[in-house]
Amino acid sequence: MSAIVSVTNVSKIYKLGKTEVPALRGVSLEIDQGEFLSVAGPSGSGKTTLLNLVGCVDTPTSGSVVVDGKDTTALSERALTSLRLDSIGFIFQSFNLVAVLSVFQNVEFPLLLQGRLGKKERADRVNGLLEAVGLGDHARHRPSELSGGQRQRVAVARALVGRPKLVLADEPTANLDSQTGANIIDLMRDMNRKDGTTFLFSTHDQKVLSHANAVIRIADGQLLGRETVARAG
Amino acid sequence: MASPVGKIRILLGIAGRNLFASRARTAIIGAILLLGTALVVAGSSLVESVDRGMRSSIQGSLGGHLQVYSAASKDELALYGGMGREPLLEPIVDFARVKEALSRVPNVKRVVPMGIDQALVAGGNQLDIGLEKLRADVRFLEGGDRSAELLRRYEAHKSHLRRMISLLWDELQASRALADDQLIRDRKQANEDLARASSPAFWDGFEKDRLGSLEFLENRVAPQAMEGTTTFVRYVGTDIDAFMEAFDRAYVVEGERVPKGQRGILLGKWYAEEYLKLKSARRLDKLKDARDYQRRTIAADAELQRWVKENQSQLNEIQMQLDPLQAEEAVARLQKGLGSSEKELGKLLSELLRTSDADFDHKYRLYYEQLAPLLQLYSIRVGDTITIKAASRSGFINSVNVKVYGFVHFRGLEKSRLAGVMSLLDLMTWRDLYGYLSREQSEEMTALRAAAGTRQVSRENAEAELFGGGGGVEAVSQKAARIDEAAVLADIGGRKKSDDLFDRVYTQEERDRGVALNAAILLRDPSRLRQTQAELEKAAPGLGLKVVDWQKASGLVGQSVSLFRMVLYTAVLIIFAVALVIINNAMVMATLQRVREIGTMRAIGAQRRFVTAMLLVETAAVSLLFGAGGAGLGAFAVWLIRALGGIPAGNDQLYFFFSGPALLPTLGTTSVAISMALVLVVSLISGFYPALIAMKVSPVEAMASDD
Repeated sequence: MSAIVSVTNVSKIYKLGKTEVPALRGVSLEIDQGEFLSVAGPSGSGKTTLLNLVGCVDTPTSGSVVVDGKDTTALSERALTSLRLDSIGFIFQSFNLVAVLSVFQNVEFPLLLQGRLGKKERADRVNGLLEAVGLGDHARHRPSELSGGQRQRVAVARALVGRPKLVLADEPTANLDSQTGANIIDLMRDMNRKDGTTFLFSTHDQKVLSHANAVIRIADGQLLGRETVARAG
Repeated sequence: MASPVGKIRILLGIAGRNLFASRARTAIIGAILLLGTALVVAGSSLVESVDRGMRSSIQGSLGGHLQVYSAASKDELALYGGMGREPLLEPIVDFARVKEALSRVPNVKRVVPMGIDQALVAGGNQLDIGLEKLRADVRFLEGGDRSAELLRRYEAHKSHLRRMISLLWDELQASRALADDQLIRDRKQANEDLARASSPAFWDGFEKDRLGSLEFLENRVAPQAMEGTTTFVRYVGTDIDAFMEAFDRAYVVEGERVPKGQRGILLGKWYAEEYLKLKSARRLDKLKDARDYQRRTIAADAELQRWVKENQSQLNEIQMQLDPLQAEEAVARLQKGLGSSEKELGKLLSELLRTSDADFDHKYRLYYEQLAPLLQLYSIRVGDTITIKAASRSGFINSVNVKVYGFVHFRGLEKSRLAGVMSLLDLMTWRDLYGYLSREQSEEMTALRAAAGTRQVSRENAEAELFGGGGGVEAVSQKAARIDEAAVLADIGGRKKSDDLFDRVYTQEERDRGVALNAAILLRDPSRLRQTQAELEKAAPGLGLKVVDWQKASGLVGQSVSLFRMVLYTAVLIIFAVALVIINNAMVMATLQRVREIGTMRAIGAQRRFVTAMLLVETAAVSLLFGAGGAGLGAFAVWLIRALGGIPAGNDQLYFFFSGPALLPTLGTTSVAISMALVLVVSLISGFYPALIAMKVSPVEAMASDD
């Protein structure tokens, strides 16, 4: 399998006034297509920073990040945005749905930005995904009318609607109870198996980690190691 | 991008939903914009309508499109009067030359000479009229007519005259108490004449020398009654034919136009109504107007009640006019009309004029149909010759007699003082009053001076000869020892009084060659006013002229619309400035609240321009929505005002501004366009900063956790 993401000797330093805070220090990582990978580590370890860099919402201070064959350090803001739109799906800790749009419209949104599909095709794609995440009859609801778990399902659908090669999820279960969180991870896992979409998600929940097929451990901005999770069934 | 429609749809969808989601904010912004645009649309429609009305009033009655006057003038031209007086203008010495030069500019259709001034008018008085009637009777008597009817009329007229003289005598005695000794000494001769005329002995001897007695009354007594009927008249000295053709609003309402090229005056009808009409008739007209057009009632309006009261207390002006025969007739007609058996005229008149809301229309008709035919309603009638006295350029008083050919009105401005106070005087008479010497007159003066220097004359006779007016040039030149300019001018003016001048027809060339103060210019294509003004200005310096547009020429009147406009624009400016600040503030707050949402959109793949557009669309949507609503509201207000009959012109001034009895505003398409443009500009400016904030939101913001 070829690497969808390769991170090479990446450092990220944030400037807070005059002091420099290193968030990542010389991290290298390869993610292959079809992986269901978890990043684990305590708060402030650099999980989110790594996801931001892989997700092309941020660029490294040094080193290189290549996503889908493109070196993000060499891309313009516009090109990075296009790359995100076409190749990456996002799932956020706080769901981040657009409050004033319906479930259907939230999921449809990336397709509208892509502007490649006609109305009918968009509707088919959105409805199909909503069925898949178990919200087929909630299309017209507003996010505020849904439970946390349901909202995160909508977010999953939104992340997948543009058929990205890579989906990033930053603590997707942190705002959910453990049962619901487990369900979301199962859903993501299903999608990963069905379509071969690569998933990279961060968590500090041990139970969630057990669902991943590999775990990257990170602490103090440094990669501690990568371990494959042996799974039953 | 392949699907702009879908994107626009989602932009509008998000904007609409956001606006709906924060209803309170939208309502506040909307209300301000609604009010602002409604004010712009309704206000500017009104101002434009007033502007149009005034433009039409000024251009059609006196101003034309452009005006020229001497650049050496101390004051600026003010067609409707300056600050309390007529502006001081240097004369245009040779109008013909100016006309010729200006007419060469292709867009100039007409050049009308003008000279505006005010003067005293002494109209015919009741005593004159009484004397006229008596003289007619005497002529028949002397001719041998001895019919009973004539004798009865003769006696009636005689006793009427005698009563008027005794009234005049009483008046004089009353005023003596107030006058100082000097005045009494000055008036000694007049006093003695009046005393003689009111003595029984004079009237006893009347039959012995009817013609001699009449002459005494006409020459010595009648002039003393003159002062009571003096009024101020404002006139424009002009080529009346050219004026009537150029100003299509002017029309002769009574009488006829001054015959082409002749001397004469057309009195302003409004002036006649206000100053020459019988006071009681005038008040009845005003009452009718107030009741019919202003929907006021006598019962509820203190001013109308005062008019009714004044009418009842001033019956003398009516009674003075009626000789005993007419008085009898009046009593009979009023008894019938009022259903009264009262025999005393005074009481009947009082009853007639004691009008209430219930009987006003009946009594108004009765007054005009039954009483008015017995009266002379206006102190100056068509066909009368009036004396106008004006301070000439050299400072002394010039006086000319001029025949009244008719009354002139300005269409649509019948009730406007500004337009209607103006009378039209022929240019030749105006030049006599103005006192500027034409070339011929100058030559005449030089000849007179030369002649005067060689003659000797007795000093006692000089005064009588100089100011008597009838003597003519020979008399002056033979008798005046030391002649001064004023005296000669007075004499030239005096000669103009003779009747042959009234019949003389002046050619166009004679009328054009001479002095004028300003000239109205009418254009073939008024839309090219500015261009033509520039062309004329190029031609003007050689002529020593200043070119101004109609608005500037109208003086304070023209400036008032600019003032309205300025007030409106200031109000609009303030409203929109406030709107700008409030909208900007609200949108900044809203944007800051949505940083997470915007960051998410950016992370998902929305370009910067998408989120910028999202914010701008939102402000533009709210602005256009409420802007259109406000424009609609303004348009509705304009429509409503029209539907309700317009804004009534409450006073003379407004009558002129509105160019009629009410302002019927029309919705200006430009006002709507301007208001929408304003709203759009305000929304874009106020949305600019929030959009900038949105543009700077990093997609990293999406990752921030709640805690």
